[in-house]
Amino acid sequence: MNIPVNPPKVESPHLPLEFSVKQESIKITGFWMFLVSDMLIFASLFSVFAVYRSHIVFGPTPNQIFHYAPTLLETLLLLTSSFTVGMAIYAMRNDRQKAMMTWLVVTLMMGAAFVTTEIHEFVGDVSHGITWHVSSFLSGFFILVGTHGAHVSFGIVWAVTLLFQLSRRGLTPVTTRKLYTFSLYWHFLDIVWVFIFTFVYLYGKIT
Amino acid sequence: MASDTTEGIWDEERGEPGFAFIQPRFQEEKFPTPQVVGYILSLVLTFASFILVEDRALPASALLVTILGLAVIQAALQLGIFMHLRESRGPAWQVIPLFLGFLIAGGLIGMSIWIMMFKWGGY
Repeated sequence: MNIPVNPPKVESPHLPLEFSVKQESIKITGFWMFLVSDMLIFASLFSVFAVYRSHIVFGPTPNQIFHYAPTLLETLLLLTSSFTVGMAIYAMRNDRQKAMMTWLVVTLMMGAAFVTTEIHEFVGDVSHGITWHVSSFLSGFFILVGTHGAHVSFGIVWAVTLLFQLSRRGLTPVTTRKLYTFSLYWHFLDIVWVFIFTFVYLYGKIT
Repeated sequence: MASDTTEGIWDEERGEPGFAFIQPRFQEEKFPTPQVVGYILSLVLTFASFILVEDRALPASALLVTILGLAVIQAALQLGIFMHLRESRGPAWQVIPLFLGFLIAGGLIGMSIWIMMFKWGGY
């Protein structure tokens, strides 16, 4: 397959670069469709968790295993990274590639810190015998939070490839479209985390 | 300024105004005010729900409803401010499947919780 490296011609110069070519802007709409289907994956995992969160059997209760300091740190990291990726898109709109890449690197570092904190928590749990075999609550918990963590990890790998491409090709209708969809993905993961923080961790503290 | 841009696209692509809620709208601020305001609000909302839970400010079920409400507000903020929900070349068609997705997701989770309430011993 022959992949053109030359950027496509700008069709609508009055629009932001990522929307300026019809073929590329259609892919942004397509990415929204992916996000909707991904939201349904998380909805089903949330409903499984909602149903099984009281099924503890002989395992620990939510309150016994959740540590609120690291969870709050993870929330702060993800909220801030959502802001920095928003700033990256803002810089991209102003045609400032250097600033854009800096904001994106900051985002990635916070994403990496988030994943590290989460893995640290999970490893700690497992070393105390708290695994997803123990109870339905723990199965639901690890699958829901783990799926989110896997999404964040994938996002980091994706954005690293985008950074490489951006440094080689600069801001074109194609690279800006890719970065724009990445920002949608990242904000989406932040929204999912807000619900995990609320419905898994804070709810665990209430009862 | 912004309306000129969108009308231009609209004429070119559709030639008619259509539904107001999928009219494209672009973020074209000179200073990143929406981003900064959105960030501050998201921090405020997160700490508000954390402190509410920490202080047990309300009875358990009312507290859960309140913090879920705060989470929904925060999701709406993210969608509106950071995700540029209405940006599109033609009509912002993504809005319709997105809200259909919300309906299905809410139904799935709500109905699962509802049906489990009929189990013996309560949910």
